[in-house]
Amino acid sequence: MAEFTASVFQNEFLSDGATDVHAIVTVTVAGAGQAGQGQGMAAGEIIIVDTSGSMTGENLGAAKHAASVAVDQILDGTWFAVISGTDTAARAFPYPNARLPMVQMEPGARAAAKQAIAAFQPSGGTAMGTWLTLARELFQATPQATQRHAILLTDGKNEHESAQALSQAIYNATGVFQCDARGVGSRWQVDELRQIATALLGTVDLIAKPADMAADFESIIKQSMGRGVASADLRVWAPQGSEVLFVRQVAPTVEDLTTRKTMVNPLTGSYPTGSWGDESRDYHVAVRVASKPVGSEQLAARVQLTVRDEVVASGLVKARWSNDDALTARIDPAVAHYTGQTELASAIQDGLAAKAAGDAATATVKLGRAVQLAAETGNDEATAKLRKVVEIDDANEGTVRLRRDVAKLDEMALDTASTKTTRVRK
Amino acid sequence: MSGAPDEIAETSPPTAPDAAQPESTPETPAEADAPAAAEAPVAAALIVCPACATVNDPDAKFCEECGTQLGELVEVSADPETTDDTHAEADEATSSTAAPRRACVYCGGSIADDGYCELCGKPAQSERDHWQEAPAAWVGGVCDRGIRHEINEDAMALSADPQVGEFAVLVVCDGVSSTPGSDKASLAAARAATAILEAGRVTDVADGHGDEYAQARWSGRMLEAGERASAAIYEAIGELAARTNPPSCTFAAAVIDGPLVVVGGVGDSRVYWIADDGKSRQLTTDDSWSQEMMAHGMSRQQAESAPQAHSITRWLGADSPDEVPHVVPTYPTGAGWILVCSDGLWNYCSDADDLAQLVHRVVGSVGTNPVQVASALVDWANEQGGQDNITAALARFDSVVPTPAQPA
Repeated sequence: MAEFTASVFQNEFLSDGATDVHAIVTVTVAGAGQAGQGQGMAAGEIIIVDTSGSMTGENLGAAKHAASVAVDQILDGTWFAVISGTDTAARAFPYPNARLPMVQMEPGARAAAKQAIAAFQPSGGTAMGTWLTLARELFQATPQATQRHAILLTDGKNEHESAQALSQAIYNATGVFQCDARGVGSRWQVDELRQIATALLGTVDLIAKPADMAADFESIIKQSMGRGVASADLRVWAPQGSEVLFVRQVAPTVEDLTTRKTMVNPLTGSYPTGSWGDESRDYHVAVRVASKPVGSEQLAARVQLTVRDEVVASGLVKARWSNDDALTARIDPAVAHYTGQTELASAIQDGLAAKAAGDAATATVKLGRAVQLAAETGNDEATAKLRKVVEIDDANEGTVRLRRDVAKLDEMALDTASTKTTRVRK
Repeated sequence: MSGAPDEIAETSPPTAPDAAQPESTPETPAEADAPAAAEAPVAAALIVCPACATVNDPDAKFCEECGTQLGELVEVSADPETTDDTHAEADEATSSTAAPRRACVYCGGSIADDGYCELCGKPAQSERDHWQEAPAAWVGGVCDRGIRHEINEDAMALSADPQVGEFAVLVVCDGVSSTPGSDKASLAAARAATAILEAGRVTDVADGHGDEYAQARWSGRMLEAGERASAAIYEAIGELAARTNPPSCTFAAAVIDGPLVVVGGVGDSRVYWIADDGKSRQLTTDDSWSQEMMAHGMSRQQAESAPQAHSITRWLGADSPDEVPHVVPTYPTGAGWILVCSDGLWNYCSDADDLAQLVHRVVGSVGTNPVQVASALVDWANEQGGQDNITAALARFDSVVPTPAQPA
C-alpha cells in the first residue's frame, strides 16, 4: 500500500501589514507498487512513432529498435498498442484488421508487436494531432485500462496540419491519458512538444543521437510501469476572502498548475498531477490573505494530495504576524531556491525566443540573468548548457556575450532542460 | 421579563475532563500487588480531549487530533455548593455543543480535524481560550485570550437568579502573566469565590433584611470569598506553589443583592458602575503602582502609561503579602450596568466616563443582551491590539425595583 507524506517549508512569520504567504510543499510517495496492479486497476500503454519520410535512414532504424525495447518493458497484462504516425495515424499493432482496439501484453503479443514495428516504412508527412486523436480513441475504446500513458517520438515539425488542429487534439486528449514527448535530431520544435507534454502531464526531452533512443524509451516505460498510483490530484484550500496567487510544481521540473484548477468547493481548487511512482515532487503555493493584527495566527492554505477524492497527505501553510524583524525578514531557503529556479526557466526560454527572433539585446540580458540565477541556485547542468550558447564574462554579475555559430542542438538542449530544477539543499 | 431560556442556553464555560487528572488515580494496595497493575494507571491517565474526544497520551499538552490545549482545567471540588444548577446546566450545554465538529468563534464556520476553521482559517480556540457565560438573561460575560498572549490566564465565574436585578454574582480573576499555572489559579479562584458568594444569599426575609445587616453580611462573605479563592489556588496548582513566583491572580467581584451592590477587589481587575444617564464610576480601587502614583497626585493618563503601570501591589496566591479584598457597598441609582473586567479591557479605556461611552455605543449597535455586549467589548479590545487577555462580565441593573422579595 502506497504511503504519502507532505512536508511544508516556509517562514510563517509576516511583518505587520504583510499579506503574501509563500510555501514549498514536498509531497512524497513510497511503496507505490507497479502500474495496473491495484484492485480493479489495469494499465494502458501506447507507443507512437513518427514514420514520416524524414525519418528515413538512421532515425527510423533507431526508432524501431527503441520501440521494440519499449515493448519488452511493458508488463504482461498491460493493455497496449503501437501507432505509426505520418500526416495521418495508423494503428500498427494490434494489426489494423484486429477486432480489439488494444490487447493485453503477453509473450505472443510482444513478439507480434515487434514484427509489426520491424515492418515500419517511412513515407508521408507529420500531423501529430491525428496521432494523439487515434491514441485517445484507442484508450477510450478500452475502458478497462484505467491508467493510461503514451510515449510520442518525432523528428520534425508539425507541418501537415494547422496549429489549431494540434491544439484541439491536445485539448481533447487532456485528462484521457498522459504523454511523454521526445524529439530526435534538430528539426523538431521544442515548443510544439512542450505544448503536448505540458497538457498531458508528461515530460519533453531531446534525444541528440539516434543511438541514445533505446535507453531513453526503456527508462520512460520503466518509469511509467513503476507508477502504482494511477492518478492523484493536488488540492489547495485557501481561507475565505483570500486569493491563491499561484500553484506551481517546482521539482523535478517547473510546471505552472494555476490554470489547471477546477474548483472542488468555493474555497478549494484541485489540480491534476497524473500518476505517481516512488518519488517526491515539490510545489510552490502562494496565497494572499488579508493582513491581521500583530500576534494573530491563521491558516493560509491546506495543501493536500488526493487519490480518488480521498485525502492521502496534507500540509498546513500558516501565517503569523509579528513585529520581530528577526523572525519576519528571513526568507525560507526552499522558497528562495525555487523562486530562483522558476525565474531561471523563464529567463532561458525568453532569452532563446528573443535570440530566435533576432533580438540580440534582449537575448543577452535574459540569458545573462539565467547565468546569474543558475550560479546562485547551484544549477550546474543549466550552467553547462548555457555555456554552449553564451560566453560567460561574469556569472555573478550575469554579464554574457552571445556566441556566434551556436549548434542548433545545443540551443534545443538548453531549451528542453530549462524547466528541470535542482533540489534545494535542505 | 424573567430569563428567556434561549438566551440562557448560550452558557459554555470550560469543562475539565474527568480523566485529565492523572494524579487522582486511586492507589489501593491490593491492586498494586496484582501483576497487571503496572499498566492500569497508564490507561487510567490517558487524557480525553474536551473538544473532539480523541484520547491522548497522559503527558500530551495539546490534543493530537485537533490541537486543543489539554492543560488540565481545575474543578473546584471541595465545596459542594459549586455543583449548583447554573454550572450543571452550563456543563450540559458544553457537552452537547462539543460534538465532533465545533464552530469557529470568529466566523461560525466549522473546525476541521487539523484544528483550523474550514472557512476563515483561524486556529480553533480551546474552551479555555474563549468562552462565554449567561446564567440569566440579564447577566453574561465573555473571557478571551486576546491576540498577543499564548494562554488565556483570565477567568470568570458568573451566577444569577433569573429574576432581573434580584441576585447575581460576577467574579473575574486575572492570572499573573509569565507565571506557569496562572491560568489554573485564576479559574480555580473565580469558581471558588463565586460558589462561596452564591452560598451567602439569604432568601429568608425574616432573617433580618435591614440594609446595614446585609452590608455587613456581604462584607464578611467577600473576605471569606477571598480566602476560599486563595485556598482553591493552592489546591489547583499543587507543586507549583513552591516556586519562586508561584501562580497567582487578581480578584474582582460584584454581588448584586436587590438594590445593594457589594464589590470586592484585590489587584487591578475592576468593577464599574456604567450609568445609562448620569455619573458612571469605578467602584473598585486598584492595588497597583499606577494607583499609588495617582494617590500621590500623578494624573491617571500619566500613571497608567508608565512602564510599571501594571505592577500590582496585591494579589491572591502563595506569595501574596495581603489577600484581603477591599470591600465597597453601594446603591446605584437609576438604570445601568455593573461591569466587571480585567485590564485587557480597561487598558484601552480606563476612565469610567469613557468606558460608559463605549458601552453605550456598543449597546446602541448590539442591543442589551449582556453576552452580546460583553462580546462586542472583547472584540473592541482585540481591535485595539488585544495585548492582554480580555474579560468583560456585565449585569443589567435597574434600581427602580428595590421591592423586597415576597415571602415564599
